[in-house]
Amino acid sequence: MLLQLNNISKWVHSGGQKVYLLKDISFWVNEGDFISIMGPSGSGKSTLLHILGMIDDFNEGEYTFLDESVHNLKEKYRANLYKQYIGFVFQSYHLIDELTVKENLEMPLLYKKYSGSERKAMVADMLDRFNIVGKKDLFPTQLSGGQQQLVGIARALIASPKLILADEPTGNLNSKQGEEIMDIFTQLNKEGVTIIQVTHSEKNMAYGSRVINLLDGSIQ
Amino acid sequence: MYTLYFKIALRYLLKNKLYSFINIAGLAIGVASFILLMVYIRYEHSYDRFDGSENVYRAYMDYLEGDTYVAGDAQTYNQVGPTLKKEFQEVEDYVRFYRLGKTTLKNQHHILEISDGCVADPTYFDIFSQNLTYGDTRTALTEPNTIVLTASLAQTLFGDQNPIGKTLQFFQGSSTLVKVTGVLPDLDQNSHFKIGYLISYSTLPNLEAVGDNIKRPNWNNNTFFTYLKIDEKADATLLQKKIVDRGMTEVQDERMNIEPIEDIHLYSNKPYEAEANGSITRIKFLTAIAFIILILSWLNYINLSTTKSLERAKEIGIRKVAGAQKQQLIVQSLLESFMLNIAAIIIAIIIATLILPIYNEFTGKTLRFEIDIIQKLLPILGIILLGMMLAGLYPAIVLSRYTPSKALKGKVRTSAQGLHIRKALIITQFLATIILLIGTIVVTKQINFINDQPIGSDLNNVLAIQGEILTNKSDSLLRADFSVLSQELKQNSIVLSTGLSNTYPGDGYDNLSSFMGMTYPDGTINEQKVWYTYEANTDYFEVMGIEFLAGKTFKETPKGYSKDIIVNAEFVKEVGITNVEEALHKKVKFWGRDWNIVGIIKDYHHFGVKNPVEPMVLRYTPTRDVLLVKLNPSVTSVSGYNTALNELQKTWSSVFPSSTFNYTFLDKKFQKQYEEDNKFRDAFKIFTALAIFIAALGLFGLTSYTCIQRKKEIGIRKVNGATIFKILKLLNIDFIKWVGVAFFIAVPISWYAMNAWLQNFAIKTSLNWWIFGLAGIIALGITLLTVSWQSFAAASANPVDALRDE
Repeated sequence: MLLQLNNISKWVHSGGQKVYLLKDISFWVNEGDFISIMGPSGSGKSTLLHILGMIDDFNEGEYTFLDESVHNLKEKYRANLYKQYIGFVFQSYHLIDELTVKENLEMPLLYKKYSGSERKAMVADMLDRFNIVGKKDLFPTQLSGGQQQLVGIARALIASPKLILADEPTGNLNSKQGEEIMDIFTQLNKEGVTIIQVTHSEKNMAYGSRVINLLDGSIQ
Repeated sequence: MYTLYFKIALRYLLKNKLYSFINIAGLAIGVASFILLMVYIRYEHSYDRFDGSENVYRAYMDYLEGDTYVAGDAQTYNQVGPTLKKEFQEVEDYVRFYRLGKTTLKNQHHILEISDGCVADPTYFDIFSQNLTYGDTRTALTEPNTIVLTASLAQTLFGDQNPIGKTLQFFQGSSTLVKVTGVLPDLDQNSHFKIGYLISYSTLPNLEAVGDNIKRPNWNNNTFFTYLKIDEKADATLLQKKIVDRGMTEVQDERMNIEPIEDIHLYSNKPYEAEANGSITRIKFLTAIAFIILILSWLNYINLSTTKSLERAKEIGIRKVAGAQKQQLIVQSLLESFMLNIAAIIIAIIIATLILPIYNEFTGKTLRFEIDIIQKLLPILGIILLGMMLAGLYPAIVLSRYTPSKALKGKVRTSAQGLHIRKALIITQFLATIILLIGTIVVTKQINFINDQPIGSDLNNVLAIQGEILTNKSDSLLRADFSVLSQELKQNSIVLSTGLSNTYPGDGYDNLSSFMGMTYPDGTINEQKVWYTYEANTDYFEVMGIEFLAGKTFKETPKGYSKDIIVNAEFVKEVGITNVEEALHKKVKFWGRDWNIVGIIKDYHHFGVKNPVEPMVLRYTPTRDVLLVKLNPSVTSVSGYNTALNELQKTWSSVFPSSTFNYTFLDKKFQKQYEEDNKFRDAFKIFTALAIFIAALGLFGLTSYTCIQRKKEIGIRKVNGATIFKILKLLNIDFIKWVGVAFFIAVPISWYAMNAWLQNFAIKTSLNWWIFGLAGIIALGITLLTVSWQSFAAASANPVDALRDE
């Protein structure tokens, strides 16, 4: 088992009342799963994804990731944990505009202890694998959306994470570009990478092996 | 990793050109101003620093006025030095200077007029740690009729050859032969005592123009500057107390005192100073301005960086998700600050270096960036850099605290505390700006007030013509020559009138005599009061436009001697007569004889209006070395001053064929007294303008920040029908409040500071309420302009754009 959530709840106070963003969420993920989180706007999909990625916290419940109790970890250890095992892919790609494709890929490695030559090799490998060698010196704004998302995925993969968290990865793309991205995810999943995606689209959902349906912060 | 940081920082700076420009420009202007002001302030503090200067003291005279002693005279009797050396073992040695005033040196056809020559004791070289380029310091000033020249003087008179052993003709009234025994390297200008040449003390008896009571060892004539070298182990404070306590039997109501030579330039302002000294108040004000500007540029920097960091929230979010930790983000942010600041400092140094020549012309100093100055400024630059890094730390910490999930959605809001800090920063900026504004207005008002003061004398178109007559002539022959000259000049249509005197308004203490001890018309004897006196001829008052309140000008006497005196209204008041008419034909007694008051003139300012009018006694002379000529303005306005000057010189040369010729415009010379004040005013204006500019840049940044933060709010308001004006009001109201708060803090502070500054002047302008009002309005105006520039764009933007990304 890769991770397990037990009775996770998150709330905010609004107008003197507790408003639940997530309520009593429990599920587990095995290594090699391809899970789709579905649900309407405001159902808490992204919040759940952020909690899974450890970049957002929760108020109640337990989160175990590779036998580590995330809810008990200090921020620094938590950061080390997700740095090592998790890669993020975003709807709006979130590349750094001031960096070239190559530098964007290299960026996460700077925060993990790799030597310069190792970083070079890993970046070259990724550029190769996604067929974007020719684009390595371009800046994100010079790329199409599909190409940007390719770079985004490459960046998420560069440190060989066990888990990819994708927040509507095809949301800003046309259908052809979307299909290409989903094909890449399928391929990655076959290679053993666990994928959790948030999506609106039935079509994208079909690529996954399991679906979690959210409504008003609870699993249906 | 760091190369990537540098890369991203550089690309970011290049991408956001306006932001980078504003930020770097603000810092560079601040730092450049700071450097320039500090170089000047350092220069002012560097006066009279030489090897051993900490043990050199100047002796001066205190005068008893009423019950207390006041600093009476920077000059001393020629017996002060020897007496102090004899009586106090702490005094190792002394050197006396007697200033010769206007003299002429001649080597064959090389003739040079020079006015900063002195007679000096041979101990000069030891006490002032001065070496000679040519000659021997041990013997250079021991023999009579020997002279030591400065290098530039030697160059003019002898060219490149070694002048040791050569003879020169020395003119002052009559001619004396002197032998060159030494050449001084050209001295640094930062001494309060400028020296052109030195003549040995033993030459004094041979100089005809010098009075007998100066030549003899005596306690009558205090016209000597005396400097003492104190044993380095001695307690100077104790010595000073002992000297003061010694009292004086030699002269009544006076005592000797000493002060460190290092303090003279900035702290001493006694009658008969060697030159107009600097002013510590001015230096304090300039130091304050320097730091205010520097701090303003820091505040500006903090505001702008924090503002901009908001736009970088997304990047921070991505980095955090990619595994960046807080410290790494802080380091990156600091690195960017560092780059920005280094760029700003380099640009500042370039700006300062480029401006330096103009700045030198403006300050009238020769400031340089030499290695030692740069070394001395290094700690300051270090402080600047450290301050900037600290300034960079705040935005860095703010930045690193963003929660990644929120940062990625662009939903960062500053904490209430963060807003408080920025509010405090901006209010401080306004505060500094308003204080500087009030300062500028008060300084400008006061200096202009001084400049515009009627001085009681009309100096326009009046020339003082001086020249050394290089032949020995008896007084009576000279008198005849001057009379001929006057007649010839008056026949020329260019000349309105001519007069003779030995000084004039604006000439300062240089050629003015002073004395103590007078018997009043009512028989009262006053031994304590210092009286000033000079000589003038019959026509003097007409030429100078000085009005008579009673009586009339001197009667001409063929002998050239008269017991008549003319006094000013202040004198009449001082001797206790209320009505000027009553003072007419009254007798006073000084210098052991009776004098008859034949005229009372209206008070005029002899020393410039910064000083109160002193009682003045004018004695009669038919011949004196200053020839005053009032030009006819209707003629000079047509033919120009050069033609007039040529004609004057022609006439002068025809009467005195073997002589030199030079002239001074009296109005210009009088204005020169205010030169330092005028420059101070201009400096205040310039640096205030720069400070305001920096503050405006900061404001500009803060507004753009507010507009970003409130973009959505503005959009919603507009969708619901708010007008552009309503939105503008909404965005401007906070700034108006802050200006208001700053204004109310600024008023008492600046009132206190400017009131203290005004105390330095005898005549002062009033601190009207409108000064403060004006400063407030200017600050508010600049604020509204700056803020509206940005907020107008935000207010008129299409609300749909603002709401789209929701």
